Amino acid sequence: MQYSEKVLQHFMNPQNVGKMEHPDSTATEGSPACGDQVTIYLKVDEASKVIEDVKFLSYGCASNIATASIVTEMAKGKTLDEAKKITWRDAMEALDGLPPVKAHCSVLAADTLQTAISNYEIAHGLKEVPNFSKETIIEELKKIIYPQVGEDIITLKMVKYVGFDNGEVLIDLNIMSFDQYRENVAEEIREHLSKYPEVKDIQINFPS
Amino acid sequence: MNEQIYMDNCVTTPLAPEVLEAMQPYFSKEFWYPASFVSTGEATSSAVHEFKEIIAKAINAHEEELTFTSGGTLANNIALKGLALAHSKKGRHIIVSLVDYPDLLTHAAYFEKMGFDLTYLESDELGYVSPDKLRSALRPDTILFMSTMVNHVVGTIQPIAEYAKVLAEADHKIFFHVDGAQAFGKMPLDMQALGMDTFSISAHKIHGPQGVGALWVKNGTRLSPYVHGVKRFDSLQPGGLSLAGIAGFAKAVELVYADLDGNIRQLRELSDYLLQELEKNIEYIELNGPRGEGRVCHNINVSIDYIEGESMAMMLDRKGITVATGSACASQGLKPSYVLMAMGKNHVQSHGSMKFTFSRYNTKEQIDYAVAELKVITERLRQLSPLYNAIKQQQEK
Repeated sequence: MQYSEKVLQHFMNPQNVGKMEHPDSTATEGSPACGDQVTIYLKVDEASKVIEDVKFLSYGCASNIATASIVTEMAKGKTLDEAKKITWRDAMEALDGLPPVKAHCSVLAADTLQTAISNYEIAHGLKEVPNFSKETIIEELKKIIYPQVGEDIITLKMVKYVGFDNGEVLIDLNIMSFDQYRENVAEEIREHLSKYPEVKDIQINFPS
Repeated sequence: MNEQIYMDNCVTTPLAPEVLEAMQPYFSKEFWYPASFVSTGEATSSAVHEFKEIIAKAINAHEEELTFTSGGTLANNIALKGLALAHSKKGRHIIVSLVDYPDLLTHAAYFEKMGFDLTYLESDELGYVSPDKLRSALRPDTILFMSTMVNHVVGTIQPIAEYAKVLAEADHKIFFHVDGAQAFGKMPLDMQALGMDTFSISAHKIHGPQGVGALWVKNGTRLSPYVHGVKRFDSLQPGGLSLAGIAGFAKAVELVYADLDGNIRQLRELSDYLLQELEKNIEYIELNGPRGEGRVCHNINVSIDYIEGESMAMMLDRKGITVATGSACASQGLKPSYVLMAMGKNHVQSHGSMKFTFSRYNTKEQIDYAVAELKVITERLRQLSPLYNAIKQQQEK
């Protein structure tokens, strides 16, 4: 496994590092138990909606730090609407790629940025708190990377069924028992979905 | 410092120059395989005989009890499959611990697949597996107990002689295999006194060549043959072996055992010094595994809180320092160190774990340099860390 020169550059000299005092918006994603956590702070010009400053904190590996650094670089100076278009694929491309097992780091960084933007918009009445539905679950599953190939589990057609009823999430995954990443994927799904207050229970089924 | 500083000696060690020299003749001039009635082959036979004697003497074994293998893992395979298959008619129960070396745990999984019944002993928070746990796991159908003498992650020395006593007290024979790769050359070993049946060692952990190991099998112990082929050197590992490698192995043993106590003392001093400097210079750091005599002389494993091990190891690597980490992020399977987790450490402690293992070529100056660099790296990464920032904020309140 090797990192690109670009990743190493951003890892050794990360941009936009540090805690921001009085940010206009902030978001934290990930958890120490999963090995990585990112916090992003935004300073937004209220009239032009331009992201004037952005800072991050990261607990995690080299690619975690590098992706947070590049995502903040990409967002700086953009309007909120422009920054909303930044995806984990863009971050990965800007870093000249990541090893497949590290792709989830770029998801975490891009995701944290999007949550910080969304938090700003909600706080400033620019949008409503979205309703939780089956679509929300599918959107979250698009952020779960299968580490072997570095692609998300929806694109890879690993999700056979998604159900949501009365606070209970039901997901059928097509990952066999001998797969070394089965538990990683299930854990990530739980982490992503359990942050929603609407979710009371998560059941993940595998082929027997 | 311009030199590469290598502090991952539990994985492999640099070849000693004296060893390289001892190996040279066997690559080209004296390359023959052992044979009888021809002067060339006989010269090799008697050389191999001498090499074996050197190694046997070092661990108080009989020469005929040693088999050369192409490494420690093969020695483990020959012993474990050999014992389990030879004695499976007497029982199907095998015992191992959750903190053992992967060679043993992958065998445990394989034995389970083959229909054996496995018991996994738990360790305490220092990585120590108590003989009482072994005693209570014994069953009338237990045929084999496997153990790792020195833990490969935290350096805990297991009570091998006490295990042997527990096994001897059982009313039937239970075979006892021990992986000795991290113990050999790092502590005195007496095959006659420890009470094991089989024991594996490896050359490249003590400045010998890579690709050579040995298996000690107590006289009279029956093993099912695992490797089949034509006998060249030993019947348990048929086929060819590296003659130069065997010569190098013997030389490496000679060098260590010329002053085993002195070697151990030197490694212990380096380890003690590193731990002292780390604890003096870096806050929120804790030793994983035992302190002092219960720990092998060449291993220090610490958890540095609130930051992640792959980042630390990579930044140290950029400064020319090689160390290891138990972080999930640094493993292909994205799993934290199973040893640290079995010891009851949490994910953050495992992610922040750093392992330093020394050889006689390490120096205090190297340690000073490594600690100074790690101190800077730790401060940099903690400034970045949301966990550390949260702790600091709490403290300010």
